[in-house]
Amino acid sequence: MTAAFVAKYAACSRIAAAQARRERGEVYGRVAFFAVILGVFSSLWRAAADAGLPVAADPKALVWYLAATEWILLSVPPIHVDIQEAIRRGDVVYQLGRPMSYVIAELAAGLGLLAVRAPLLGATAFLCAFAFTGWIPPSSALATVVPFGLVAAALITALHLWIGLLAFWLQDVSPVYWVCQKLMFVLGGLMLPLDLYPDFIQRVAAVTPFPSVLAGPASFVLPAPIVTPGELARNLAIWCGVTAFAVWWVFRRAATALTINGG
Amino acid sequence: MTRRSNSLAFARALVTTNLKATVALRGAFVMQVAFMALNNLTFFVFWWALMRHAIVIRGWRLGDVEVLFGIVAVAFGLTVTVAGGVRFLGRFIDEGDLDTLLTQPQSVLVHALGLRSQPSGIGDVLSGLMFIAWSGQVSWSMLPVVAAAIAASALVLLATGIVFFSLAFWLGRVETVARQLWELLITFALYPEPLFGGMLRLALFTVLPAGFVGYLPVRIVRAPSLINVALLATGAAAYLGFAVLVFDRGLRRYASGSRFSTFG
Repeated sequence: MTAAFVAKYAACSRIAAAQARRERGEVYGRVAFFAVILGVFSSLWRAAADAGLPVAADPKALVWYLAATEWILLSVPPIHVDIQEAIRRGDVVYQLGRPMSYVIAELAAGLGLLAVRAPLLGATAFLCAFAFTGWIPPSSALATVVPFGLVAAALITALHLWIGLLAFWLQDVSPVYWVCQKLMFVLGGLMLPLDLYPDFIQRVAAVTPFPSVLAGPASFVLPAPIVTPGELARNLAIWCGVTAFAVWWVFRRAATALTINGG
Repeated sequence: MTRRSNSLAFARALVTTNLKATVALRGAFVMQVAFMALNNLTFFVFWWALMRHAIVIRGWRLGDVEVLFGIVAVAFGLTVTVAGGVRFLGRFIDEGDLDTLLTQPQSVLVHALGLRSQPSGIGDVLSGLMFIAWSGQVSWSMLPVVAAAIAASALVLLATGIVFFSLAFWLGRVETVARQLWELLITFALYPEPLFGGMLRLALFTVLPAGFVGYLPVRIVRAPSLINVALLATGAAAYLGFAVLVFDRGLRRYASGSRFSTFG
């Protein structure tokens, strides 16, 4: 039973990964974007250090911090778009009838895409950050960033799944996605470590999942990480639980509504 | 002359019709405008937080970054509102959607550009104007200069979009790559000019003209000079001329999609 359960969702992951390997245009675009952003920011941090920015005492570490946050974020596949389209076109009805959970199948497919994108973008992050700084953080720091980064990327994929499911009510989930993305940008400390933001932003960030998925893992390359590995593992576990519940609850409501409306 | 004025009248009618159709879905329109404005404001939080600590970065203050953001946002908003079809040009070409336009008496390019107005562009325009107002660097007497700088910036942005997406005439399915190139141009245009030097700066004033979209208009607003105004005007005209040329050349290679449909 368990083996069969795992096998069918693993098949979803494999199919999605195979598709991602064939359609590489978007990933290559992200690689180019990644290189550009790291180049721009390595220049910006040098300029900020010249201007006396306190945290920019080590601009090289800040470039690696950005490489880590961008690696996590850019690796996440935009599955909410496909889910939204399936719901808008009505294709979701055919998928609901299959002998597998629609939600788990979509998540598995998302993780399959992630498995293709993360190594390529990880290599880009490493090479570009090294090229722009001529420095590599301690191997222990990198060894901590990678597993936490992968878990964080999986959690953001689940978050995108939740956003995609909102299309049952909203039709177009782009505004929700934009807001989520921008919250991640600021409250997650995507480009700037959170301690550079004002206190009130830091306090708000602390009660959201965003620092745990971006600033937390990435801060291990900084001289003073914002969390310990144990704390980050606990926070990620909590937010995984919260996200799983939110996805389950939203899909349950949607499935009920579909039944009431006659499918 | 008559043909040009006909094209302008047609473009105006197309934009008006598009805007009416967009505003008709009032809820969706308001939501997209509001979220896009919020989106831009949130992005600016980064600069605000950074420049609380480093007041001047290579001669640029927060006000200068606000002017840059404002000009690029308004230019982008105008482009996707008035000529929203530019973002779909690659798909039109690749999927044979130009068929229905070829039989029309009006310019194919003007018609294609006017097909898809993006309501979120209004959000860009509004947030851009807010940035310019907050910057405290633009006096009332400077408004015509700012408006001209924005118009030139929008034209360069549009021209570059036409060139990137017209690559579909020769290369087929390039929508993703073209879109990413266009976004790359906008990304570069949103960072202060002094961050880039050497060959990169040369590229930003030629193949990826972020310099004409953001830097030169900001230079003109900060310290107006005839040379820079002439450079920007010449650049905008040259890029637009080149874009029209590329599209016309591409159109000669266009292979029909045998479409029998109507556009709206």
